[in-house]
Amino acid sequence: MDATRQAKTTAVKGTHTAREVRPLVKNIYQSAHEAKQNGRKVAYMMVASHYDEILRAMDIVPLPTENYAGLCAAKRDMDRFLLKAEADGYSQVLCSYARIGLGFDSLRKELGRIPDNSPDGGMPLPDMMLGSSAVCDPRFKWYQAASRYLEVPTFSIDVVAPPPQADLNQVRDHYIRYQRAQFQGLIEFLEKQTHQKMDKERLWEAIRLGDQAWRLWHDIDRLRVAVPSPMPSQDHFSIMVAGHYYTGTQTAVDFYQKLYDEVKYKAEHKIGVIAEEKYRILYGGGLPPWHTLWIFNYFESFGALFAIENVYRGFDPVEVPAHIQDPVDYLAWRAFLRATRYHEKARARSGNPTVEKLLGLIADYAIDGVVFHACRSCRATTIGQTHIKSELGKYCDLPMMQLVSDMVDLRDYSEAQWKAQIGAFMEALAARDGSK
Amino acid sequence: MSIVQQIEAIYANRGGRARELRRAGEKIIGYFCCFVPDEIITALGMVPFRIQGSQSEPIDEADALLEPMACPFARSCFNMALKGQYEFLDGFVAPHSCDTIERMYHIWRSNTPSPFNHFINVPHMLGPSSSEFYKNELRYFVTCLEEFSGRKLETEKLRESIRLYNRRGALLRELYELRKQDPPRVSGTEITQVLVAGMGVPAAEHIDLVQAFIEEVKNRPAPAPDGLPRIFLWGNEIDDVAFIQLVEACGAHVVMDDLCTGTRFFWEAVPETDDPLDGLVQKYLGTHCPRSLTPQVGARAEDLENRFSYIRRFAADWKAQGAIFYIVRYCDTCELEGPDLKEYLLKHKLPVLMIEDDYSTATIGQLRTRIQAFLEMIA
Ligand code: SF4
Ligand code: SF4
Repeated sequence: MDATRQAKTTAVKGTHTAREVRPLVKNIYQSAHEAKQNGRKVAYMMVASHYDEILRAMDIVPLPTENYAGLCAAKRDMDRFLLKAEADGYSQVLCSYARIGLGFDSLRKELGRIPDNSPDGGMPLPDMMLGSSAVCDPRFKWYQAASRYLEVPTFSIDVVAPPPQADLNQVRDHYIRYQRAQFQGLIEFLEKQTHQKMDKERLWEAIRLGDQAWRLWHDIDRLRVAVPSPMPSQDHFSIMVAGHYYTGTQTAVDFYQKLYDEVKYKAEHKIGVIAEEKYRILYGGGLPPWHTLWIFNYFESFGALFAIENVYRGFDPVEVPAHIQDPVDYLAWRAFLRATRYHEKARARSGNPTVEKLLGLIADYAIDGVVFHACRSCRATTIGQTHIKSELGKYCDLPMMQLVSDMVDLRDYSEAQWKAQIGAFMEALAARDGSK
Repeated sequence: MSIVQQIEAIYANRGGRARELRRAGEKIIGYFCCFVPDEIITALGMVPFRIQGSQSEPIDEADALLEPMACPFARSCFNMALKGQYEFLDGFVAPHSCDTIERMYHIWRSNTPSPFNHFINVPHMLGPSSSEFYKNELRYFVTCLEEFSGRKLETEKLRESIRLYNRRGALLRELYELRKQDPPRVSGTEITQVLVAGMGVPAAEHIDLVQAFIEEVKNRPAPAPDGLPRIFLWGNEIDDVAFIQLVEACGAHVVMDDLCTGTRFFWEAVPETDDPLDGLVQKYLGTHCPRSLTPQVGARAEDLENRFSYIRRFAADWKAQGAIFYIVRYCDTCELEGPDLKEYLLKHKLPVLMIEDDYSTATIGQLRTRIQAFLEMIA
């Protein structure tokens, strides 16, 4: 393990502001430890569940367990947790985030303390676990399984989205009503845990901050259409920490304001990330290879820059109708609108919202090629990539490639194979360039 | 043909009857898993067909379109569709049973669309708002099916259809009663054949088959005591007898199950409610599947009891001496449920063998030694 632990995993960033993310990450875990000492409630939570603002409004300190798994991978300290979960009976093909989380909880229980030298001080025992069905199945099932190691109140909510072919006029009401009821159920659960009523004004405030941060983030991404690119995808994978783990706080707003200013300056002054930007690449989907983020710099060494990406996105601003006066209604509407953003376009053309989104990015960002990352243990973000790739091919003629590994489990990743694949991809880009 | 031969023939040629019916002008609606009510399809005068894969055919063509880390059951079904083996489906309906099925719905739909394609969202959470939501999803399903079939769903027809499926359920439970004897008069292999055969024929025809089969079984001479262990099976899609045959060949009786292709789809009856959709909601959302989240109750021990006591009762009533889990690989919810259930059953002194497999008869033989060792251990 020592050898893997020393290996370099991180990527050289394109912006200065992205380099300030590391303390933000550290602070997630540190504030959870502090909160525990001060008697505040800490909750295991799942990112992108659309409930972040509720947690903020109720003073619950979020502990994002998936992020922790990614962090362990970036520190190349995942094997002991993976192996522990497997020894406890969890399959080697189960979501590796879940395996790391369960393995960590299991070790912490066994030792009666946080495992020695855990990345960023480890995760303290939470007061509760809040799962959700947004994105994938493991995200609600994992916390149920974790109750084997920590007996704390556990609650999960559904996050639902209609298929693109559904007639939204016929299903909108019941989707939004259900989403609202699910949020309301969570609020009632949290009120019981905290012995406090949720204050709607505080919820509005958190929502305002949340929306503001996401609006700024969206504006930053719009600046990234500039050639040369002012901010690469590897920065996105860092700066998403503010939007996803600080949702509903001033910290996120301030962070994105600063990043906005920097990216704007770079775009206006044509300051690119790399000296000679030959190709602009779209990261088409899949969780990032946390263990090997330097691969983005490897692409750059061929003049290929990742200009934009389709992961940790989906919360771009939406217009909730003005007549919505209740913050919980607002959250339900917002979740629905986010989920159906590309439905109309899909119905008009490809039938597939992701394909539409990618085609939009390809056009706006002057993309030359697309790269996907398939993660062996993440069904939710991987299944469909091959299909999307082939559908995309019907509407555009770009070199595309799918790299395969896992988001954290490195046991069957091959650097040599990746490099060979990337070499072939570069040739395809060059050939296309030559024929233009 | 004896009744056993008839069942074997339908089991072996699963699309056969549906093709015949289609030639006679019927509409066939294919669907996945345990969350699409047959009752609705039947009440609208169409024939529901539960889509199955094939454990004996290699997955070849699907590879180009569906990633290898998707559930091999789902991949196998899609593979068959790509090869034209589901050409007889007028409709294709997928429930949101799991990530794989949800993703696959879109892939299937755009590669081998049927004249009618529909997706039903099934809540993962349980509770009043989930029931209301699922009911609305069923309403929307009805609306779309009505449009497709050109017929209106009559409440009386739906009630009739519910009674029909309830009668089938009652018969299947009667058949399962016969497994309680020691040794049972009917093998686990035969039971699977009866159940899987029924997934491809109209309920009324299945009822006739089950009835005749029960008569036949009752008339069998009581087998001599053999002292072989009695096994309870837990897992997901076992739509092929190969695995059960293997367990039985290793020297055991498979006597009870909790499988998507077993008790899970028929055990509970649809309650008769003022609005028949309410009854359907109760039954279908009550399906014991790891993909549905039972809300936490009390501390760990109480919670496990609340989640799994029905399994303990199954095992006790059918006098099971060991449990084998057969998990189709890559099914995250089953993979997360397995260790909890194992802990629970071990606490209740029921030994457990947890197997994860690839849904392929080609590799099933590799499990023999593990099964034998387990059976020896519990003997
Ligand atoms: S399966 Fe994928 S989306 Fe789900 S928790 Fe794991 S990594 Fe996240
Ligand atoms: S076995 Fe699992 S992945 Fe496969 S269809 Fe069933 S629930 Fe889905």
